[in-house]
Order: sequence, then C-alpha cells, then structure tokens
Amino acid sequence: MKKRLLSIALAAAMTVTLFGCGGTSSDTTTSSGDSSSSSASVSSSDLNIMLETAVESLDPQEATDGTSFEVIADFTDGLMQMDEDGQAVEAIAESYESSDDGLTWTFHLREDATWSNGEPVTAADFVFGWQRAVDPDVASEYSYMLSDIGQIKNAAEIIEGNVDKSELGVTAEDDYTLVVELEAPVSYFLSLMYFPTFYPVNEAFFNECGDSYATSPDTLLSNGAFVIDDYEPAATAFHLTKNDDYYDADTVQLSGLNYQVIQDSQQALMSYQSGDLDMTLVNGDQVEQVQDDDEYLAVGAGYLWYVAPNMDAVEELANENIRFAMTYAINRDSICEDVLKDGSAPTYTAVPPEFATGPDGSDFSADQTMFADVCSYDADKAAEAWEKGLSELGVTSLEFDMIVDSDDAPQKVAQVLKEQWETALPGLTVNLVVEPKKQRVQDMQDGNFELGLTRWGPDYADPMTYLGMWVTGNNNNYGLWSNSEYDAIIEECTTGEIAQDEEARWQKLYDAEQIVMDEAVIFPLYTQCNAEMISSNVTGVEFHPVALNRVYKRAVKSE
Amino acid sequence: MRKYVLKRVLTAVFTLLVILLVLFILMQLMPGSPFNDEKLTDDQLQLLYEKYGLDKPIIVQFFNYVKNMFTGDFGVSYKISKNTPIAQLIASRLPISIGIGFMAVFIGALIGLILGIVAAIWHDTILDTIATIISVIGVSVPSYVFALALSFEFGFTLGWFPMLYSNSAQLSSSILPSVSLSMFTMASIARFTRSEMMEVMDSEYMLLAESKGLSGRALILRHALRNALIPIVTVLAPLIVDLMTGSLVVEKIFSIPGVGSLLVNAIQSNDYNVVISLSFIYSAMYIVIMLVVDILYGIIDPRIRLAKEDG
Repeated sequence: MKKRLLSIALAAAMTVTLFGCGGTSSDTTTSSGDSSSSSASVSSSDLNIMLETAVESLDPQEATDGTSFEVIADFTDGLMQMDEDGQAVEAIAESYESSDDGLTWTFHLREDATWSNGEPVTAADFVFGWQRAVDPDVASEYSYMLSDIGQIKNAAEIIEGNVDKSELGVTAEDDYTLVVELEAPVSYFLSLMYFPTFYPVNEAFFNECGDSYATSPDTLLSNGAFVIDDYEPAATAFHLTKNDDYYDADTVQLSGLNYQVIQDSQQALMSYQSGDLDMTLVNGDQVEQVQDDDEYLAVGAGYLWYVAPNMDAVEELANENIRFAMTYAINRDSICEDVLKDGSAPTYTAVPPEFATGPDGSDFSADQTMFADVCSYDADKAAEAWEKGLSELGVTSLEFDMIVDSDDAPQKVAQVLKEQWETALPGLTVNLVVEPKKQRVQDMQDGNFELGLTRWGPDYADPMTYLGMWVTGNNNNYGLWSNSEYDAIIEECTTGEIAQDEEARWQKLYDAEQIVMDEAVIFPLYTQCNAEMISSNVTGVEFHPVALNRVYKRAVKSE
Repeated sequence: MRKYVLKRVLTAVFTLLVILLVLFILMQLMPGSPFNDEKLTDDQLQLLYEKYGLDKPIIVQFFNYVKNMFTGDFGVSYKISKNTPIAQLIASRLPISIGIGFMAVFIGALIGLILGIVAAIWHDTILDTIATIISVIGVSVPSYVFALALSFEFGFTLGWFPMLYSNSAQLSSSILPSVSLSMFTMASIARFTRSEMMEVMDSEYMLLAESKGLSGRALILRHALRNALIPIVTVLAPLIVDLMTGSLVVEKIFSIPGVGSLLVNAIQSNDYNVVISLSFIYSAMYIVIMLVVDILYGIIDPRIRLAKEDG
C-alpha cells in the first residue's frame, strides 16, 4: 500500500511539472541553448522559420500547398511578384501591356535575370512551365489556374486531352518577349502571375534532371532572392542562402533562410522562446499565454469558415425563414472572442475581407455591415423568423445533423454553434457528427449531409474565387442552390463585356453577393487568422492571405 | 532446426502478403483521395487517378504493386512528398528511426536489467521500492508525455540537450527521444527481471549452488541471471514493437526525420503508397523480430531447440 501511495505521489508530481510548462513564458529571449547551430551553413543573420508541415513539392507546377508555394517563391520569381500590400509588381517582367480587348497580354522580360546555373531567364522558360501546368501527363492539380481562372487560350481543351499542349495560348516572340492569349478578358490576370503554377522552368535543365527534378539542391534552379542549398524530399529541416546573382540582390538583407518543421506546438513555442526560432505559429490554446506579448501577431489567413445548409435534400432547410433564423441566432463575436481567441474576425459577408482590392484600392469586403439586414446577430429577429418558419412547415420542433471536421478548432466552434442555436431557437436540436476532414468533404460533395461546417481559402485575389462557388452545378456549391439570375451575373463578370470594365464588374459582384446573402445560401461565421510570434529584431516579413503566405525578400534581422 | 526456421520463414512471407492485401483493401475504404478533394473537379481527379494507375481495379493494383515490390519499387508518394520514389524516402529515414530505436532498446534493457537485479537481490528494502516506483511510472506514463516533459526540463529549462533533432548533432539530439522511448521498455524489463530473478533465486538448484560454496557475482550472473534471461528475451520482442509504435508520436514531437513521423503524415493525407509500404515494413520488422527471438530462445536454452526439433 505504501509503495502504491508513493508512486501515485510521484506520478502526480510529474504531471504538475508538465502542466507547469505553460506558465512561465513572458521573458522571450532567454539565450539558454547552445544548441542553436543546427546546420553548418547557418549564419547569424539567417532567419529561423518554423513550418507546421513539410514541403510537399518544390516543382512549381506540381505543388499545391501553402508551405511549398512559400518556399518555391523564396527562390523563384515569376513575371510578377507580390509587393508588401499584396499587389502585383514587376519581377522578371520589366514591363507589360494588354490589348484593347483584354485578350492579349505582352510581357517584356528583363535581360539581367539569370538562373543559378548562369543561363538567362527567357520567355521560353515560361512557355515550358505553363505547358507543363496543362499537360495531361503531368496532371497538375492547379491546372485550373490556367483554364478556368486564367482563361488562357486552349488551356481547358489541352487539359482534357483534346488539343496538344503546344497549342496553349502562350508564345515566346523572342527571348525576352512573352505573348499570352486569353479566351476572355481577366481583370485580375496580373495577380495570377505571382502564383507559382505560372513560374518558369528551364527546359534543358529539367530534361537533364528527369524524374529527380526539384528533389535536391542539385536538381533545382533558382532565379529568385535565395538559392536552396540543403534539402531532401519531406525534409524536417532545410536551408536557403541569399542569391548573390539575383538581379535585385541589393534589396535582400538576410543571409539566408533556415526552415525547421515542428509539428508539436509546445516544442515550437519553446524553441522560439529559447531563441532557436525567429518566427513560429502558435495554436489556439497557447494564444492566451502569449497574446499580451509585443511579439505576438495575428495574421489573416484568408479562410472563410461558414455553415452550408443542404437546401436541396432537406426540406426544412429549403425554408428561407428557417435559414434566416439560424443565421440571426449566431453570435459571431462570441465565437471569435471566447472560443477561438486567435484574432479571427467575425464575418457577415460571403466574400471575406482583406484579400481582394477593387479598382479604387479598397477592400471588397471592408464594410461588414453591408448585409446587416440579412446577416447579423439578432435574437429577436431570429425567434420571429423561427416562429414563422415553423408555422409554414407546420411543425413545432426540428432536428438537424451537422457534420464537422475532427480538428480541434472546428469542433469547438460547432459546440458553440449548437449551444447558440438551441438556446435562441426553441424546439431546435442540432446533433454534431464529427468526421475526418476527407470524409466530411466527400459527404458534402455527395450531398450526404444536412448542415456542414466548412471553409474555403482564396486561390487568387478576386472576389470571384468565392462567388464562383455558388454557380449552379459547381462542385463546392454544397447546398445545390441554383439561381439563374446569379448564374447570369457571374457569367457576365467572367466572360461578358463587363469583364473588362473593372468598376462596373466590381459593382456586379456586389449584386451577386447580395443574392447569396439574401437567400442565406451560407451562414458566414469568421475569417481565420493565424497566430504568429515574430521576434522583435525581425522586420519586413510580409504576410498575405492569398498565394504566397509569407515573403522574406525584404525582411531584415538586426543583431 | 533448419526445417523449423524454413517453415517459419515461409509462414512469415505468406503472412506479409495477406497483410499487404488487407492494407490495400483498407486504403480503398479510406474516405477521399490523396489529392485536394475540395478544389478539384471530378475530371481532374480522374486524370490524376489515371496518371497513378488508381483507376484500375483494386486487385490489379495489388498484383502490380507486389510485382514492382520485388524489384524494390514501392511506388511514389502522391501527396506528402509528391512523386518521390518511396524507396528513396525510406532509405534516408529508416536508419535514423532504427538508430534511435536501437539506442532506446539498449538504454531500456540495460537500465531495466540493473534495476530488476538490484530490486531482486535487495528485495523488500528501500532500493526495491525505488525500483518499483520507477517501473510503475515507466509502464503507466506514455512515451510522448515523457518526451514533452524531458524536452521541457532538459531541453528548454536546463538547455543540456537540443529540443529538436538536428542532422549536425545527431547523437546529442537523439538522447531525449531515445530516453523517452526507452522508459516503457526499461520499466517492463525491470519488473520482469525482478520477478524472474526472485523465482530463480528461490529455486532448489540455487540453494544447491550456494551450498556448494558459490557466492557473489558468479552465483548471480552464471546461475540466476542466465536462467532468468530466457523469459526476458521473449518479452523484449513485443517491447521492441511497442517502441516502434511509440516512435510514431515521439518522432513527431522531436521533429525527427524518421519513418514514424512520415507514416503519421501519410495516413492523415491518404498517401496510399507511403502508408502501404511503411505499414508493410513495420509488419515485416515485427515478424522478423519474433522470428529472431524464437531462434535466440533456442540458443539460450538448448532444451527448447531440442524439443522443437522433436516436435
């Protein structure tokens, strides 16, 4: 008995030590570890960056995830790159012009850009890269950036295998002139040019590498701010060094980038606090202990989280009053402030704020009260609509299942939603069905759900990346909603005459959003933020919710 | 003996094939695809399935896979490291996992044995109690908890060891993960050694040896420990397997570029080939370890070998 007591006491002591880990954190630069030099080539003005997931691919046409895009852009420039505000600025392209009908773009390339093997970056490199992106043999997951989104001539036909890839609407007029032909004018075309799928690939080098292309420093070429010098597939740590031959090398202040993949959030924060990292992501539970720190930063991640009601399969959800009641009953402020606590912003629009800027330079969704009469928190209006809906349906109570990802944050949000709904709407029961994300997505695409908590991240800096979703028959129009007026507006903005008139198009996009909100096609909840810690001696790291999430070209690390 | 080993090896090969088939069927049952289900249209998914031969019937995929496997081709990764041959992925990672695993078994078995012997010789004293406490904690606390605690204490607070695995300091950065992994092995071995030793020491032949005038180290090592070792070798095998499962989480915590963390990521992203080949390797390791233990058993105690040969 004595033995057992003793062991219990000891176990308890250990547990206390463990939970104690969270408490002491405010002193940030304890230079305790002498173990910081993890790679031979690391120098003191390298930026030490934490990644949550490993790079999936450094092949610009094969990559699909934010981490890979970030790293590819560290060492590759496209025709355009992002400036600090997320606007497209000239990079490999020195200048550009578009024809009056908006169907032809001509890019003039700078002559001082070289690959890290000394060869010049030419228009042919872009042609080769883009052709790879639509090549059915490559089967790039992002080929739709060229076809549906970029509207590049013949892209769709090539992807389907009907036309040879040499017919793609991109030609090298000479070494430094690239001409792009479009099927329809695309107002946001320049902002696509910084997306890695549109990056150049040197054909001769690619053929030399064969299957091993982009799997090691020897099989990668750089034309950007950094050169990768230590990397292997799925590496948990890798390194890039400043590219001295970069045409804009004077701008680059960092000596290199030192990436470390850390999947455990406690380890990441401790590594940051011990000075091994200059930047790290912080998870929701840790935010509370660091949010008063000067080095804490909530960065917009662009993702809109929303609830999709299945109006097609569930008769009760086809009732507009029921849907309005549900959206009025959601207290979005409480979800962000009491549950998520990571800086996520309550959202009342179908297009989230802070990723798409209009012709006048303002944020498309800056005004979050635009649809206040159909989407806001109002318990009275909720109860009223609920009563009306129930009597229209001739019932006194309703029960819905809501499918939710098994991740931490969505589960917490779903719990609160359930509570808010059941409190505000008498007679409503919501059952949460937790599923792995892949299963949840599949169920929603199959229409096999009643309510679904889901999210969408922007692919390009235009409201269409969201509004395109609710067109009749779209894969991600989960509620199988259909409105011919809406379809017509989207069609007009995509391929119609208005597609070139930026201001009129912008106005039309608001009209489309109005329809989505007026019919409560989705219940927007919040725009996700990532909580980051960034050391106070680091400045100039640029965060973007679209395409390239973090850009280090202009970052400075002071000693 | 040879016939016995041959029979065991054949059974092992057959078992592995069955495991592979089951894995294939399980993969088929997983929801979604390895690709971006949210953003891709059905046509694009179809294109990707065709590219990787995933559009063929499962049984055809299975036989193609087995056929390729004999040439060392385990396929390519679809997601976590796109288009990288799995053989290449594993080749650089398996040695790291095995190295840390070996270190953990070594530390665990050595300390476990010492603790067990100490506890048995001085049983019912304070030494025995301390050994018991350590074993209870080791058995009941999962390895990832040790990992986090050790990393906090010795990595963060004291700064003695790196918190994360690093290629340039392989040994020092392997210590914390190995120790976290070894705790369960150590505790189990300690408990087992203690009880086996006590049993052996109470036996009549020990009394005889003692009465013949043997004492001290010779008595303990030659007579008691050797006899107590036989059952310990058998428990060591499943312990090594436990250790392999523990490594899945511990590798993730210390950012070790081993196969364990690779498997976890692959499962989460439906990377079929990676999951299949790693699960297959894990199964193969399990079966090989069991086989080795069986053979070792015979070497330590000739009676067993003879009995099996008769049978």
